[in-house]
Amino acid sequence: MGERFETEVVVIGGGMTGAGVLRDLALRGIKAILVEQRDLGHGTSTRNHGLLHSGARYAVRDEEAAIESYHENLILKKTVPGSIEQTGGLFVKVPKDDDSYVQKWLSSCKNIGIPAVEIPIEQALKQEPYLNKKVQTVYQVPDGSVDCFTLVLDVTADAAAHGAKVLTYHEVVDLLIEENRVMGVRVRDAFTGEEKEIFSKLVVNAAGPWVGKIAEQVGIPFHIINNKGMLAVFSHRFNKQVINRLRLPGDADIFVPAHDVTIFGTTGINVEDPNDFSLNREELEGMLEEGKKLIPSIHDMRLIRAYSGSRPLYQESSTNDSSGRNVSRGMALIDHQKRDGLDGLLTITGGKLTTFRLMAEKTVDLVCGKLGVKQTCTTHLEMIPNRKAKGFFNEVDMAPAAKQKLIHWAGTNATKIEASLREGHSSVVICECEQVTWAEVEAAIPENGRFHLGDIRRRTRLGMGPCQGTFCHHRAASCAVENGKATIEEANWALQQAILERKKGMGVVATGETAKQVQLMAAIYQVSLGMKEGEYEHV
Amino acid sequence: MLDLFFHEDTFEKCLKCNACVVNCPVSNETFDFGGPKHLGPELKRLMDNQQVIDDKRIELCTLCGNCDISCPENVHVSTLTAYAKAIHSELSGTKFRDVVLSNAEFVGKLASAFAPITNLAMGMRPVRKVMEATVGIPADRLFPKYRFNHFNRLYNKKTASTKRKVAYYVGCYATYNAPNVATSFVKVMEYNGIEVVKPEQKCCGVPMFANGQLKQGLKNANFNIQRFLEYTRQGYDVVVTCTSCTLALKKEYVSFLQTEDAKELASHVYDADEYLRVLMENGELNTNFAPREEKARYYAPCHMKAQGIGNPAMDILELIPGYEIQDTGAGCCGQCGTFGFKVEKYDVSMNIGNKLAKTVNDVNAEYTVTECGMCKNQLDQLTDQPVKHPMEILAEAYLVGDKVLANK
Ligand SMILES: Cc1cc2nc3c(=O)[nH]c(=O)nc-3n(C[C@H](O)[C@H](O)[C@H](O)COP(=O)(O)OP(=O)(O)OC[C@H]3O[C@@H](n4cnc5c(N)ncnc54)[C@H](O)[C@@H]3O)c2cc1C
Ligand code: SF4
Ligand code: SF4
Ligand code: SF4
Repeated sequence: MGERFETEVVVIGGGMTGAGVLRDLALRGIKAILVEQRDLGHGTSTRNHGLLHSGARYAVRDEEAAIESYHENLILKKTVPGSIEQTGGLFVKVPKDDDSYVQKWLSSCKNIGIPAVEIPIEQALKQEPYLNKKVQTVYQVPDGSVDCFTLVLDVTADAAAHGAKVLTYHEVVDLLIEENRVMGVRVRDAFTGEEKEIFSKLVVNAAGPWVGKIAEQVGIPFHIINNKGMLAVFSHRFNKQVINRLRLPGDADIFVPAHDVTIFGTTGINVEDPNDFSLNREELEGMLEEGKKLIPSIHDMRLIRAYSGSRPLYQESSTNDSSGRNVSRGMALIDHQKRDGLDGLLTITGGKLTTFRLMAEKTVDLVCGKLGVKQTCTTHLEMIPNRKAKGFFNEVDMAPAAKQKLIHWAGTNATKIEASLREGHSSVVICECEQVTWAEVEAAIPENGRFHLGDIRRRTRLGMGPCQGTFCHHRAASCAVENGKATIEEANWALQQAILERKKGMGVVATGETAKQVQLMAAIYQVSLGMKEGEYEHV
Repeated sequence: MLDLFFHEDTFEKCLKCNACVVNCPVSNETFDFGGPKHLGPELKRLMDNQQVIDDKRIELCTLCGNCDISCPENVHVSTLTAYAKAIHSELSGTKFRDVVLSNAEFVGKLASAFAPITNLAMGMRPVRKVMEATVGIPADRLFPKYRFNHFNRLYNKKTASTKRKVAYYVGCYATYNAPNVATSFVKVMEYNGIEVVKPEQKCCGVPMFANGQLKQGLKNANFNIQRFLEYTRQGYDVVVTCTSCTLALKKEYVSFLQTEDAKELASHVYDADEYLRVLMENGELNTNFAPREEKARYYAPCHMKAQGIGNPAMDILELIPGYEIQDTGAGCCGQCGTFGFKVEKYDVSMNIGNKLAKTVNDVNAEYTVTECGMCKNQLDQLTDQPVKHPMEILAEAYLVGDKVLANK
């Protein structure tokens, strides 16, 4: 048996919910360790649409969700400005969509207090030249775009800055139980296989689509619907603001601008396995057909990849609704002592990315009650350090596009990155699509962690552009070897992982240019660099 | 204010393969240039319907078009770099010097009104030193000569009555600096029984595009399109002796404006030698050339290569009995329109040009043949070999051939 740790609270799951809980605990002075089986954001938290809901989408069907979303929207814009772009959003009615819905929607927004302002069609078309010229009505709402990668990273980093601990690449394989009481968790290191035990007063299960698996470990029946949705990424960002279809929420009716791309979705199909990230070409084609009603040139635009994630929808009892869209997306906080007579375990699931803070607040309120802690929540007031790096990089000689990105991105790493940029070579852009320099990559490699291109991607956007890492992956890997950040074996392993992962997401959209890009990538890696397909297991 | 949003979606096809970078004469010469891939499709992707990025390195792009021909995906790279230039000059302002250089026509008119004085002034070092210091035109740079008897004074025919009729797009260089090219062309057509008219016209706009004066350039484009369509719709063919102008009329107007009119005009435009080749293919070409025992070398301007029509000048010149002409296979000349006239770009221009000069000198011949006036300017500066336009050679060959016939 390996190491043993002790803490007050163990949080299972490094998604947005777990990260939020960890930070709230830390701010209230409660000792906590977060355990994540892969990298932060491995689950749904980076496999979603990235829409900071204004609540308008849910106004008609789910008033409670709408109210929560709107309030959290306002709070997050103030407290996590670095991960949110206040793009605003449009709700657009297209011909043939139900006319009567518009009035219903408008009065619901009004009741809730969500500002929905009608704008002239001409103005909307000027702002969004790719929008269908035949739209009938356009409203503007305070939607936003969230960078879910930076959000989960920054919230966790702030928790760590307040004393919390984070263990990534550690899977919870068992709950430690003594007489109807959860005493802690047993975790396994994903790289070495080594097992460790963490003892705690309380365990918070925030494992997203996997919450049921955790409950199963201690034999608790726990029904969760995993509603899988597909999202497609366009090679460039063609809209300035979020574009929603003004109708009863359905498939394929939202376009969210995210940095230099546009993300389009989504669908909903119930699946059993939380690890089911499969992608389906027909599903994608169905989406594009729908999406055409908002953006007519959708078929002419290049798609660079697709991905999927599952919404964990909690249900007290099981029903046969297969769409999953009618189950409440509200949050579910479960005290297993009350529900199952098992002490020391709470489960928090459901909800939305937008409402993660509120979910955390409610969870930690319950934790405090159990631990007898009097501190109240402050996460609605306390800022997370901004990502903007004003005053930095002015003197550095580098491509303006790369500089502009850094100024919006570098955040707390700005000093480190600027120093390294001044040294010379590191200002060379190694990922051209997303304008990432070696300096940024270097800053994203952990001190004594593994060299992992996926982790670097989530921290820098390396390889997220149209070429999907065709060129930058091996540049990053060679730089890492040259600079002593990885051995040749480690770099090869990382390359193999990265290429497999990128290829999977490209495969389903691979027609036209993207098909050629996949071939080019294969030619470079398999022919020029002599890598064999499937040589390593995908981690 | 220029509308900084423009619709040009070929950037989406870029595979990032770098073929354009490898073939860009400027990228090959200096690391200070961002390169076609970045300043073309990559920047457009980041800017389309989003924030504008002003990258001053775009000044180094010469719009030679080598990136376009090398791109396997048919990305309109140089159209995109031209827009980047327009954005840069819109946001950072255009140097007075670049306004002057971009306005070849205006300068041409002005300069040839005082031709002997201009030529002298341009040749005199003290004056040039002042010009370098004040407007940034390098003192060592040789300038094309301006002619008092420019072509507009010499020729103004507006209608033709022959079977084939040509509407001649003369271009600024042949109008103001080399009227001999224009008159030679008219003669070559006469020897083929074709009457040439000179419709009202403005500078094609290429120097404006290159200096970021996109809006002005497109105004000229629209003017030329309308004037020339009046002729093509009456059965005239549009023929051009300047390769940059030809490329503009054939390709750039279409990519920038994307209008039906631009496309319609483009389908009637021919490079002069290409036109002669069409006559030859139809058995209509007068081949009564006097033999010339001469050795020449041909230098293909970038804008000729960019048209993708092969090597029509050599195809025609080779018909002259005894005439030997060899392709130098050289790359870009480095003058690139107005590029080499700028003091900060002089070194890059000269470095590119020196490679050319070496290749030119390696081919043993009496003189160099090229169509582009700007390339001629660079060749004049860097080699001690005479430079001729194909039309000048053909006109002479016809003239002598005629005399020989008459004497028989
Ligand atoms: C297609 C789609 C689109 C969406 N769009 C939006 C949107 O636009 N806006 C919005 O607000 N919300 C959106 N959502 C909802 C939102 O993404 C989710 O509600 C939210 O991300 C859930 O976060 P989570 O932390 O609960 O779960 P997750 O992010 O899945 O986190 C759970 C984590 O637990 C880890 N884990 C699991 N088992 C173990 C174990 N045994 N040991 C250790 N770690 C473990 C996983 O690796 C994972 O990282 C969308 C959801 C989907 C599916
Ligand atoms: S037009 Fe010429 S100089 Fe400009 S990027 Fe293309 S190849 Fe390079
Ligand atoms: S040659 Fe074409 S496809 Fe290749 S990088 Fe240049 S623009 Fe892109
Ligand atoms: S490109 Fe042609 S029309 Fe334009 S300036 Fe040169 S010679 Fe004149």
